[in-house]
Amino acid sequence: MTTSKSALHGIRTSGDYFISTFLFGVMFGIAAVSVGLETWQALLMCATSFTASGQFAALEFWAAPLPFGTIALSVALVSSRNLLLGMSMTHHFDGHSLGRRVVWLALLNDPGVVNSFRMDAEIDRLGYVTGYGVSMMISWLLSTWIGLNIAHLVASFDLGAIDFAGPLVIATMMMLFFKGSTSKPTPWIVSGVVALALFEIGAANYLILLGSVLSGMVVAILQTRRNEASTNGG
Amino acid sequence: MVGNSSALWAIAMMAGIVYLTRLSGYFVGLQLRHIRGIQPVLEALPGCAFMAILVPAVRQGNPSEILAMICVILIMWRSNNVVLATGTGMAVLLFAGPYLGSL
Repeated sequence: MTTSKSALHGIRTSGDYFISTFLFGVMFGIAAVSVGLETWQALLMCATSFTASGQFAALEFWAAPLPFGTIALSVALVSSRNLLLGMSMTHHFDGHSLGRRVVWLALLNDPGVVNSFRMDAEIDRLGYVTGYGVSMMISWLLSTWIGLNIAHLVASFDLGAIDFAGPLVIATMMMLFFKGSTSKPTPWIVSGVVALALFEIGAANYLILLGSVLSGMVVAILQTRRNEASTNGG
Repeated sequence: MVGNSSALWAIAMMAGIVYLTRLSGYFVGLQLRHIRGIQPVLEALPGCAFMAILVPAVRQGNPSEILAMICVILIMWRSNNVVLATGTGMAVLLFAGPYLGSL
């Protein structure tokens, strides 16, 4: 499938997460107004950063004088999973110029990557993920703009109840991974167990992420070696 | 009130950091791709990161949040319908929260 057709396919199949992202965008717009962000600032942030979790993290510290170091650190920490998303796409963006890959990676997004693994082998994954990202970007900008404009209407509502919406959306992606995976989910189960253990001993969030991912990685390596050994042996 | 120039610098800094995380993961992967059998390992990584976020969130969740998570998992298991799963989870958070919060 050509890159442009794959991109269109990405846009067409992004409906589910378009709606989920829309919800977060409205919430972000409302939150942005509450910390004093101007409309152009909020929209510029959405268009350039394009990261719900990172932007919400930055809002926590959005007060004069801006603590640049704290904002940088928190955005980097919550965006660290992008490293892993990028690594997972290593074998799937071949056949494109370096320039195109460098530019289009700006639109790398979680649901696009997760769903790209469920697509047929003939699809162009860079096109697909980018098309998905274009759709997410439109949803993110449009919904933030709406949130900014309706903030005065919902100021009296308590949005705290839906703080947990982020983990719910991540759970939907995890389920797509679980159901679409052709290999055993052992690395993810081990990651979860390690994350729980580290949480229980009071480890910091970045240590939980690091320990959990490293342990999952080790299990994935062992699983791959065992599969290779059984293939060679059989 | 944050000044325009400070805000612009902060927004530019955020955009740079996020873009670097997206770019550097891919290029680190390119350096590792010659290792035999690395592809399934790299492809397992996003799921590991999701688990590292999900498990602590559920562990410290209140009853309505745990109920919402169970609903999301069950609906996704049965139907793969992201909108239905997320919508149901959100409805549980909004409407069951006041009743379950005190448990």
